[in-house]
Amino acid sequence: MLSSFTNLSRVGVPRLIITRSIFFRDKKSDSLPPEPFKSSVPPHIEKQQQKALDEYKANEDPSLKCYVNISDPIPSLDMYQTTKRGLQVLLWTDMLKGVMIALGWLLREPTTINYPFEKGPLSPRFRGEHALRRYTSGEERCIACKLCEVICPAQAITIEAEERADGSRRTTRYDIDMTKCIYCGFCQEACPVDAIVEGPNFEYSTETREELLYNKEKLLQNGDKWEAEIAANIQADYLYR
Amino acid sequence: MTEGALAKFRQWTQIVRHYGGLKNTLLAVYRYDDLKTGAFIGADKYGNSYYQNKRYFIGRSRWVQYADRVGLDYDASQVPPEWHRWLQYITDDPPTTTPIKRHPWMIDHIENKTGTRQSYMPYSTVRPKIQSWQPPAPSTTTSQSTGAMKS
Repeated sequence: MLSSFTNLSRVGVPRLIITRSIFFRDKKSDSLPPEPFKSSVPPHIEKQQQKALDEYKANEDPSLKCYVNISDPIPSLDMYQTTKRGLQVLLWTDMLKGVMIALGWLLREPTTINYPFEKGPLSPRFRGEHALRRYTSGEERCIACKLCEVICPAQAITIEAEERADGSRRTTRYDIDMTKCIYCGFCQEACPVDAIVEGPNFEYSTETREELLYNKEKLLQNGDKWEAEIAANIQADYLYR
Repeated sequence: MTEGALAKFRQWTQIVRHYGGLKNTLLAVYRYDDLKTGAFIGADKYGNSYYQNKRYFIGRSRWVQYADRVGLDYDASQVPPEWHRWLQYITDDPPTTTPIKRHPWMIDHIENKTGTRQSYMPYSTVRPKIQSWQPPAPSTTTSQSTGAMKS
């Protein structure tokens, strides 16, 4: 019970603080006293602080007993300390320390990637630049079912279809506005013949806006160019589809 | 010995030997902004060569040295798809050990041509559905209009 009467107030009036120990006996606190706080102050500074505290306590005004001075100790005026402070001001030792830190980081291995020589890891599912694929025979896959056009949330795809000379249904226009596209990948999910895919290429930035308005020829060319990697990526990922 | 000044010195000598002389090393710094030694994995037909050193972390462990003919006009889009796959860590097998199947209709790799004369410009792949009105020749116009007036 006595431990719950804790003198925390500045004016020295004891206050009753209801704690667990009023009702329960805490075994740990009975057996072992709490570990004393270990300060991380270096020993010579600690000695100085202790000295200043002792000095303060010796000359303490009894009317001011309600507070303890925790501010930095008054700088010592002995030879070593004054020389050190003087060097800090005159020779900028702090600045030299900073330069040494910079030098240390300069010699360390960089944590950044030296693009375009080095590149970061990419997933086989990466959704980059669009491409229209072909069958192994070279026949284009797209049958103009327009499912991608319907599902496209950004309405970036425009398709027009016509009957080809051999009677098959093919697109005459397959435009993707790459500035509208949000790269959600719904088009390749919707495609029943795996014709439209989002390839692994993301390095197709352009200088002008109109270069990003892809038509069918451009998309087929992308497919012919990237098919090697697109097919390998689909192969690598087929178990998860 | 993997740390310390001596190890650093050994690394530097290795690097200079890798690039073949001090002059070439300086040129390599100028061109590649970095000095690294690694195993030569292969080269593509466009002249780019690919290296690997697993001592570096992923992202830095594989790199490409672009063909000499491009000089300082190197671009990330010059990496062909086969090597792109290996360089971006999608696979661990370089195309030298596991070649990717090629079809006759596949085309050679083209780099990003933006800003040049060969850059892609969009065009319509269909015939326009609306034709502009072609005004008939003036003589027929007058005869038609007079005919309409008479009737």
